[in-house]
Amino acid sequence: MGLRQNILTDPVSELDLRKIATVKPDTTVRQAVATMREHQLGCVIVVDSLGKPIGKFTERQVTKLLLDDTSKLDEPIKNHMLTSADPVRDTDSIAGMVSKMQVGNLRFICVTNAQGKATALAGQKSLMEYIADHFPRQIKVQRMRSKIFMDEREGA
Amino acid sequence: MKRKRRAAPPGEFHDPLSNYEEPQFDDNLERSLLQDVISEVMTYQPYKTIADHATVEQAMQMMAELEIACVMVTHDDKLVGVFSERDVINKVSENFRAVKDKPISEFMTPDPIVVHESDCPAKAINQMAIGGFRHIPVLTVDERIAGMLGPQRVVKYVEKFLHES
Repeated sequence: MGLRQNILTDPVSELDLRKIATVKPDTTVRQAVATMREHQLGCVIVVDSLGKPIGKFTERQVTKLLLDDTSKLDEPIKNHMLTSADPVRDTDSIAGMVSKMQVGNLRFICVTNAQGKATALAGQKSLMEYIADHFPRQIKVQRMRSKIFMDEREGA
Repeated sequence: MKRKRRAAPPGEFHDPLSNYEEPQFDDNLERSLLQDVISEVMTYQPYKTIADHATVEQAMQMMAELEIACVMVTHDDKLVGVFSERDVINKVSENFRAVKDKPISEFMTPDPIVVHESDCPAKAINQMAIGGFRHIPVLTVDERIAGMLGPQRVVKYVEKFLHES
């Protein structure tokens, strides 16, 4: 089966999903940014008491808040989060997730289980890794070098 | 171990590629990943550059106003680094007031991995998936800046193949 067909039929759970970082609505922006830094993620998901996603806060908001007024870092994240979490189910197809990301211009997407609880984070990087894993020979033999021409010749 | 090279009989041409088998691909996405070139099938413009002596705040303002995740940092029009929203989180956010007037060159990621316009899309995906780089500058063959590839643009490239019948 070709790569395209795999993307069309494989579920989101086949992706190398990131461990999700969640915060409560009353968490301060400063704490949320520290969580992003600690988990090396560009996004935290804001969840309600049942663990269901109600919003998200991304790197882009951090840049805007820092430029706007640094005192806002001590405000609760619910004042500054994006209220559309746009989750996908772990059983949705990867193609469906790709379309959702493309239409909504999303870089991160929250993955939920059957109970609607946020369980993982997917993103554009997950898709890159999926392509590399399912098409390994052709992808991984590509040189990691920066230069188009070598400084010195190889071999004799 | 030495291998004896089979010489063609005198006066007869032996094609060294006579045993070459053309690669077989299951679909157009697989073929394009390896056989197309970035300049023909991927979008890598518009892009933004900023001089290495510009301040952190100026770079962040540019990124916020244009809603872009990454800028390329240049010195005499040569690429010397990239500065992204991830750098804001990791290097700037904790101490913004103290660092906002410092030059961006102190906070950028120097000597970034790049791809060239003539590379295949698979190479860009290799850098992103295996190298872990989210934004990769695209250069011309003579090392001038041609654009920037980010995950959003790669997703767009992949998505167009999903709608093929």
